[in-house]
Amino acid sequence: MLKFLGRRLLIALPTMLVIATLAFGLLHATPGGPFDTAKRMPPEIQRSIEAKYHLDEPLWRQYLRYLNDLAHGDLGPSFQYRNTSVNELVRAGLPVDAVVGSLALLTAMLVGGFTGTVAALRRNSLWDHVPMFFAVLGISIPVFVTGPLLILVFAVQLHWLPSGDWRGIDIRYLLLPVAALALPYTAYIARMVRGAAIEVFTSPFIRTARAKGLPTRTVVLRHALRPVLMPLVSFLGPAFASVLTGSIIIESVFGLPGIGRYFLTGAINRDYTLVVGITVLYGALIIAFNLLADLCYAWLDPRVRLQS
Amino acid sequence: MRLSKILKCSLCQRRLAGAALALAMTLTAALLAACGGEGQGPDVPVVSSIRVGTGLAADQTLRRALDAMPRTLDPSLLTDVDAQKVTDDLFEGLTALGLDGSMVPGVATSWEVSADGKNWVFHLRPEARWSNGDPVTSADFIYAWRRQVDPKTGTEYAQALAPIVGAMAVATGHAPVSSLGVDAPDPLTVRIALNSPTPYLLFLLADSFMQPLHRATIERWGDDWTRPEHWVSNGPFVVKEVVIGNRITLEKNPLYWDAASVRPNQVIYYPLETLTQVGRFMAGDIQFASIFPNSQFKWLKSQLGDQVVTGPYLGISQMEVNMLGPPFAMSRDLRLALNLALDRTILANKVGEGLQEPAFSVVPPLPGYRPQIPEWASWSDERRHAEARRLYAAAGYSAAHPLRVQLDYPTGEDNRDVFDAITAMWLTNLGAQVEPYNEEFRVLLQNLRLHKAALFQNGWIGDYPDPFTFLQLFQTGFDQNFSAYSDPAYDALLSAAAQEADPARRFRFFEQAERRLNEEGVSIPIMYYTSRHLVKPYVKGWQLNIQDRIVSRYMYLLEHEGG
Amino acid sequence: MNAAILPRPARAAGQWRQSWERLCRHRPALVALALLGFVVLLALLVPLVSPYDYATPDWDELYQPPGGGHLLGTDGLGRDLLVRVMWGCRISLLVGIAASLVSVLIGVLWGATAGYAGGTTDSLMMRIVDILYTVPFIPLVIVLTVLFGRSFLLVFVAIGAVSWLDIARIVRGQTLSLKNREFIEAARALGLSNTTMIVRHVVPNLLGVVIIYATLTVPTVILFEAFLSFLGLGVHAPLASLGTLISDGANHMKSHPYLLTIPAVFLTLIVCSFSYLGDGLRDALDPREQR
Repeated sequence: MLKFLGRRLLIALPTMLVIATLAFGLLHATPGGPFDTAKRMPPEIQRSIEAKYHLDEPLWRQYLRYLNDLAHGDLGPSFQYRNTSVNELVRAGLPVDAVVGSLALLTAMLVGGFTGTVAALRRNSLWDHVPMFFAVLGISIPVFVTGPLLILVFAVQLHWLPSGDWRGIDIRYLLLPVAALALPYTAYIARMVRGAAIEVFTSPFIRTARAKGLPTRTVVLRHALRPVLMPLVSFLGPAFASVLTGSIIIESVFGLPGIGRYFLTGAINRDYTLVVGITVLYGALIIAFNLLADLCYAWLDPRVRLQS
Repeated sequence: MRLSKILKCSLCQRRLAGAALALAMTLTAALLAACGGEGQGPDVPVVSSIRVGTGLAADQTLRRALDAMPRTLDPSLLTDVDAQKVTDDLFEGLTALGLDGSMVPGVATSWEVSADGKNWVFHLRPEARWSNGDPVTSADFIYAWRRQVDPKTGTEYAQALAPIVGAMAVATGHAPVSSLGVDAPDPLTVRIALNSPTPYLLFLLADSFMQPLHRATIERWGDDWTRPEHWVSNGPFVVKEVVIGNRITLEKNPLYWDAASVRPNQVIYYPLETLTQVGRFMAGDIQFASIFPNSQFKWLKSQLGDQVVTGPYLGISQMEVNMLGPPFAMSRDLRLALNLALDRTILANKVGEGLQEPAFSVVPPLPGYRPQIPEWASWSDERRHAEARRLYAAAGYSAAHPLRVQLDYPTGEDNRDVFDAITAMWLTNLGAQVEPYNEEFRVLLQNLRLHKAALFQNGWIGDYPDPFTFLQLFQTGFDQNFSAYSDPAYDALLSAAAQEADPARRFRFFEQAERRLNEEGVSIPIMYYTSRHLVKPYVKGWQLNIQDRIVSRYMYLLEHEGG
Repeated sequence: MNAAILPRPARAAGQWRQSWERLCRHRPALVALALLGFVVLLALLVPLVSPYDYATPDWDELYQPPGGGHLLGTDGLGRDLLVRVMWGCRISLLVGIAASLVSVLIGVLWGATAGYAGGTTDSLMMRIVDILYTVPFIPLVIVLTVLFGRSFLLVFVAIGAVSWLDIARIVRGQTLSLKNREFIEAARALGLSNTTMIVRHVVPNLLGVVIIYATLTVPTVILFEAFLSFLGLGVHAPLASLGTLISDGANHMKSHPYLLTIPAVFLTLIVCSFSYLGDGLRDALDPREQR
């Protein structure tokens, strides 16, 4: 086990390097630079700005300089928000996404898991068709529709909740964005759990357990849970990494100061350091959560050996 | 056997029932969608009615929206319109913005200009103060302006000071900073030497790039001077808090020389997407929205009535052609054909919902300037279309051999419909096959710089209310002359205007130049921009102006209930 | 060995026919198939039959609600919504099905190989997946459009590059669990090659999860294509896909709700059909199920 962990952490380093390099290269390959506005600058001033941000150096030098800073935990200055560092932006935005994202995914896991299981147990009844219909809706209707719709109903017409803004851990301000973000994930999870649960419930060993007269609850919890959780865990790893680095649409619809929006404006404004920095962060999260997922596999299914 | 068959049957039946139920729900939804939508929103106005009193509200906190998060609050370094909106509240230049958007005395109480229009003297008021108590002196202006043109500072718009003697020489590194044509003979006097008579100088002086800076603060804190804890400015407000991506909070500057007349205690700016602004406004969380979608104009008007405010904005949406190669460079007939075949009234009234004015020439309406509207603008549709077809044929195109060209435009929310309509019009009226192609902004900018696009949109917003800022777009050598139009006669007219001290005669030169532009058809104007706002009925002390610079200091909130 | 404990063996020819018969008996799946077929038929026929086309504006008929001359109403340029939605269905179905199929294929093969191989191969393959997860998408698409111009094929590449990753992970997870079961050992003892093992023994046991995930991928892909059009990729205006119709409609949510609800209903119908079809397929392919 420890050997496994050690190996994975060792591999993580070169993986991160590749991620950083790819992102760096990709950003610099995109046409247009961060200081390209419609108004052209006199060359002298252009040179001065570029010198300040080291954009005048050959690309490989900039790359090495960036890696060096990265090794020290410094993600560099933001090119679009002058006089602000990427570290600062991430420090300010990450808690927002962490709160909204984890609440949304937890809700999705609970609600989706429960609904999916019940749907599988009461297959082809109303308990199955009704929630699954709503699951289909949840998947087909995009967030940029549900978000404004929720605002329209609960904030504008009913005045029950505020229409957005970030006020820390305040349930009134969190309810709508979490609900909007949780909806598609709930739908996904519900359908996946139902599918996996149906597989499991019709498998021989479950029928044996039931034939033995074990109550449904025991059957579900003790025998069926683990196989059902397997695909869920695979899905949740990247899902967590993704919500932690922000959902662009939720942030713009509700006006939340999260990382997702910076990422979008950063890509559009060619803010090299910001985009690469967030990508590196995302990479670290992906690696971490996928590792966690692998550990979960081993725990859920004792037959899984993590190395052959 | 029979029993199991029956069981099987009932299982089937249950399955069928379930499926039918789901289907029924879907169909119901479809039916509802089909029948329910009458094309209008809910019959009852969404926002509850607001009752406004006559006295001042207890809480004078203004909540305004911005289109995007300002990239910096340093007035020299900023490049975006949103940042300038905020610095308009934080700094005061020699001149300032009045309630109606005109120039009023700011830090300067009076000024004189020499007979040849090239030398200005400004007298500063002795009571002007920085927010830390220091007096505002002429040295603060000299410092700021030198910093603006100094290449070492790395500002993105040093050309703002181009009219000043020596500015461009300093900016391009050919002269020391001290050679800039400004000086301060005493702490209360500023002198400016200009290259040529510049009637719009007073407007320039209220721009963020010309505002004074507190030297000691910048030298002490460097790039960090814009942080709230180090902030020093001389305007009606100072920065209290910046939460990137969420809000900027300003509070009243008690040491501002005219603080007594500043009504709001606090101003909070929220950077929000367009649609989000509408939602927040209707929920009552912001009081002054900076924009709303064109396509929602009629509906918002029906819901909010007078809270929807629009007015002319100093800018034009236009298309330009590439004068460096086929198909437009050699064929004036083709350029004019496209111009005439555009049904601008339809675009303005139908696609634009009547929000924007159709544009027939490059320069928007300006006081004292005679609009150069081409003759064909007043023709009947039939006559205009016939002439367009004649020109199209004269250029060598026909149904068998139609024009095939791509129209590049930047991705934007309202653009797609407009350009779909335009290309459809050209197809119907001429038979020309113009393909609309949206590109991400910076990619488009690159293509324009390299003159790769044959036909493209180039929206332009004027820096100051003067024809030159628009006509300059077609001047040989201007760095945003993306059409590469080069006409010695046109350039000569612009130079003559630059040297002319008399404002009326100067305008005549511009009018001639614009006529020439119309004859050449290099620009295909579409519409003039409008500024659009949503304003709560209890917010007073503001007026629309052509540059859409509405400062917070005159605004105040009346008592109100609801909304 | 007790036959009841053995999971599915490899498929014999006769079993495909059995599965097909089972599918035919699965009523909801049949209804879904019929519905899908109906939508496809509409999408193909309506634009041919309708007097309107998707591009020509009609200045006198802006924002007409459904009913009257235009069955589903008109949009902001007076274009017939029914024809536009039908074209949208064409494009979205094409993109949705094709891209989903491709990404499922790649994802299943990649994930199964990685999970079955284990060790260094697995590690390497999964690290590649990790890296691909993190590639910043917008710059990637921009670079692609600059390099390759604006071809519709690029849409498939762009979508395909991203959507197989989740499936690969899920499949790998399932494979890890499967490969240590007795039947695999039994088959291995028979001396079957690795490819045969993966394709004929591992993959069929994954089908359940894969089908579910495939049906979940279709709407994601369709909406993703709408996002791409903002970057200049995807359908060329004035043509529209269901995704772009929905995102345009979202801008008119308060003023002209039918512009949003109508394409959304069609998308929901399509997704619903795929879901039920997926259910039917999964049931049909599972020989252990008893009616």
